[in-house]
Amino acid sequence: MSGSPRHFTTQLAVIGSGIAGFAASIFAINRKIVTAQVGNTGAVAYTTGYLDLIGKLGGTTDPVTDPWQALTRLRETEPKHPLCRVAADDIQRAFTEFTDFLGTCGLAYSSPGACNITALTPVGTLKQTLCVPATMAAGPRALAANAPCVIVDFKGLKGFSGAEVVANLRDRWPQLTTQRIVFPGMDRGEVYPEVMARALEVPATREKLAVALNDVAGSAEVIGLPAILGMHRPDHVLAELERLTGREIFEIPTMPPSVPGIRLRELFQQVLPQRGVTLIPQQRVTALSFADDGATLALSDSYGPIRVHAQAVILATGRFLSGGLEAHPAGIREHLLDLPVTQPADRSDWYRERYTDPRGHPIHRAGIEVDDSFRPLTREGRRHHERLFAAGVILAHQDWIRGRSGAGIAIATAFRAVTEAEHFLLS
Amino acid sequence: MPEIRTGNELMTESAVASINFKEAALKLLPEGANFEACLTCGLCSSGCPASGIENMDPRKFIRMAMLGMDEELSSTPWIWCCTLCKRCQYVCPMSIDVSQLVYLARGNWPEDKKPSGIVRSCQLTRSSDSTSAMGMPPADFVSVVGEVLEEVRATQPAFSRLQAPIDKRGAHFFVNQNSREPMSEPEEMVPLWKIFDVVGADWTYASKGWAAENFCMFSGNEDAWREVIRKRVDAVNELGCEVWLNTECGHSYYSMWHGIERFGLQANFRLESIVTWYAQWIREGKLPIDSRWNTNGIKFTVQDPCMIVRKAYGDAIAEDMRFVVRTLVGEENFVDMQPNRSANYCCGGGGGFLQAGMTDHRRTYGKRKFDQIAATGAAYVLTPCHNCHSQMHDIGHFYGGHYGVVHLWTLICLSLGILGKNERIYLGPDLRG
Repeated sequence: MSGSPRHFTTQLAVIGSGIAGFAASIFAINRKIVTAQVGNTGAVAYTTGYLDLIGKLGGTTDPVTDPWQALTRLRETEPKHPLCRVAADDIQRAFTEFTDFLGTCGLAYSSPGACNITALTPVGTLKQTLCVPATMAAGPRALAANAPCVIVDFKGLKGFSGAEVVANLRDRWPQLTTQRIVFPGMDRGEVYPEVMARALEVPATREKLAVALNDVAGSAEVIGLPAILGMHRPDHVLAELERLTGREIFEIPTMPPSVPGIRLRELFQQVLPQRGVTLIPQQRVTALSFADDGATLALSDSYGPIRVHAQAVILATGRFLSGGLEAHPAGIREHLLDLPVTQPADRSDWYRERYTDPRGHPIHRAGIEVDDSFRPLTREGRRHHERLFAAGVILAHQDWIRGRSGAGIAIATAFRAVTEAEHFLLS
Repeated sequence: MPEIRTGNELMTESAVASINFKEAALKLLPEGANFEACLTCGLCSSGCPASGIENMDPRKFIRMAMLGMDEELSSTPWIWCCTLCKRCQYVCPMSIDVSQLVYLARGNWPEDKKPSGIVRSCQLTRSSDSTSAMGMPPADFVSVVGEVLEEVRATQPAFSRLQAPIDKRGAHFFVNQNSREPMSEPEEMVPLWKIFDVVGADWTYASKGWAAENFCMFSGNEDAWREVIRKRVDAVNELGCEVWLNTECGHSYYSMWHGIERFGLQANFRLESIVTWYAQWIREGKLPIDSRWNTNGIKFTVQDPCMIVRKAYGDAIAEDMRFVVRTLVGEENFVDMQPNRSANYCCGGGGGFLQAGMTDHRRTYGKRKFDQIAATGAAYVLTPCHNCHSQMHDIGHFYGGHYGVVHLWTLICLSLGILGKNERIYLGPDLRG
């Protein structure tokens, strides 16, 4: 048996398989850069499917309805925020390019508009987001119009309750009601959104569900469902279910494990290799080294060791959950290159006294420093290497959860990192 | 004491001694891994076709292990419904491998309490030098191969000089063989022999260690697994072959490949898959297949066997398989299952489930595979794995599907125009000729 490494050579290696990593690969292949992407599964499967730019500004509780105006404000109040290193036009272009790509893959999104969209959360609260999947678009419209609508949930489904959604929206949406039904063929035990979504790829299941939905919909013009409208062809499943029921239908994200995140992950894993990306998913890079003529990534899969030789590298390894940052008793470390991490001076400063403090917690702003070309910096403030770029929420000076800006930071910084990497490769 | 029905057996919870799963898990894990890192997000359970069977799922299994519920985990029959496919690990952001604990639990059951079908298959595997899970001794195998070869030479003039060597020293390929063919459907061996003939392969069967299957691994019997693999390794070393070529059988590859590493055996040969060689021979022009035979635009999909894709080679072999199939059936007639490649679902026939006698549970598990296939609308599923083949065949009948399940070798010979009339048992009327 041979334990010899398998070698791949590429122009650009993207490390990380979250939104930032996949966005970087999309931007790269659109620019005809030969790309390899590696990295373990990341947190993409936890996403709601909404693509936020800015939903809240630091220290405030008011939702942001105009993210572009909020961006201007952010430049004044938080100039080190990663989004402040990206021009508004570039952010607009990045979102458009990213959502266009998804649309060509059967997962249509609304285009980034002038204002945020008021969207529904799994528990029936509201949030501001920039782009929503087509399968969810009718929800905000029906809410705005106070249309007669029934939220249908399913026996055995955990993590989504129609009653809870209605209870939280009753004052704002008087014509909202709820019903519970049995999903066709799943009348016993716990049922999972993922399983229902895959079952709805089968025409016979759609037909049975349409009958069950019409049985309880009454006079409702619109039906809201937990996000289960297919995994691989959601736009098609939505259209077919609307045709069969004769009603408008929308999805609401569910608590993890939720379909929209799995949908995105499987779409990326399916489509990117077809578009020429060498994708080695679910494997963590264990070493990254640089030489004058390129970089080398070391990793292993089930079969054995792998080496990826690249001219440039984008680090998009995320934060704690995805393994880009590690919390140790002595402090926070960047695991791959031991890049310096901007962080609170002492562990006791990581969190504020009150968990719900609107200012957030200092640890959530920890991350690596980059210059305007999105190259990570050393402790001395020099570039770690000309061939290294970084993108996504591993970057310091942002609290993406509190700012409702995770996708925005991922997509916008990936766009800039790829642009800079392209300049480097062309030079 | 409550009784638990496992297949055709009845067993009591007290029959199985408890083991400390948490302690064992910590020893099993590589550096840096941690079962306590489980976020309880449920991606594993959501993505596992065995979830809900016997009121268990992967997330629950991990949580119970961390809570020290060893007695319950030591006795749950769910461990025989988990197919050890490792999809839970594949979708887990923390890469937690539940199958290691399940394997441990299997090994902990007394032999007389394990599903008898798996145990019996392992016993038969150890009963002769063939290592055949159906108990076919070397002399019988040699005899069947000889008889079938003689018949082909006599009845198919184009193959009057067909070869099926046995114990040929120094042959490039040592070819393994699933016992199902020589035992039950010997004519199904012939298409592969014809393919070897067409490409001019230097190959041999062996009288010892020729069989592919290994249910000792699935029984959790470490010593028996080692014994079987050692016998096969010795057989290949003895003949001096360069390559142990795994034919269309999934777990045989994994059990050999992983077993050699696990048990530190000296293998003086490489392990390769026939799928990779099909692709290479097509690319080299040695296997001149095309899709011109598919004049009616019959649709095909493929099943990625967990044991050679997710658990061994990764997506590279899945791409080779798609290249072969697209060439065979035509690009426009290939419909991929979703999800696929390393993310594919186990069919439910793996892990010894087909032999475990738990038919209702196995079909419940297989419903997700059935839905996957139904969503493609394909008339045929191609797969290079016998367990996948049998399971998809069974669930197709059970759930009212209208698809056939076919080996790749069948379609390759069909495309080449060399498929004999009695070599079409898995083809439907549209292709039976």
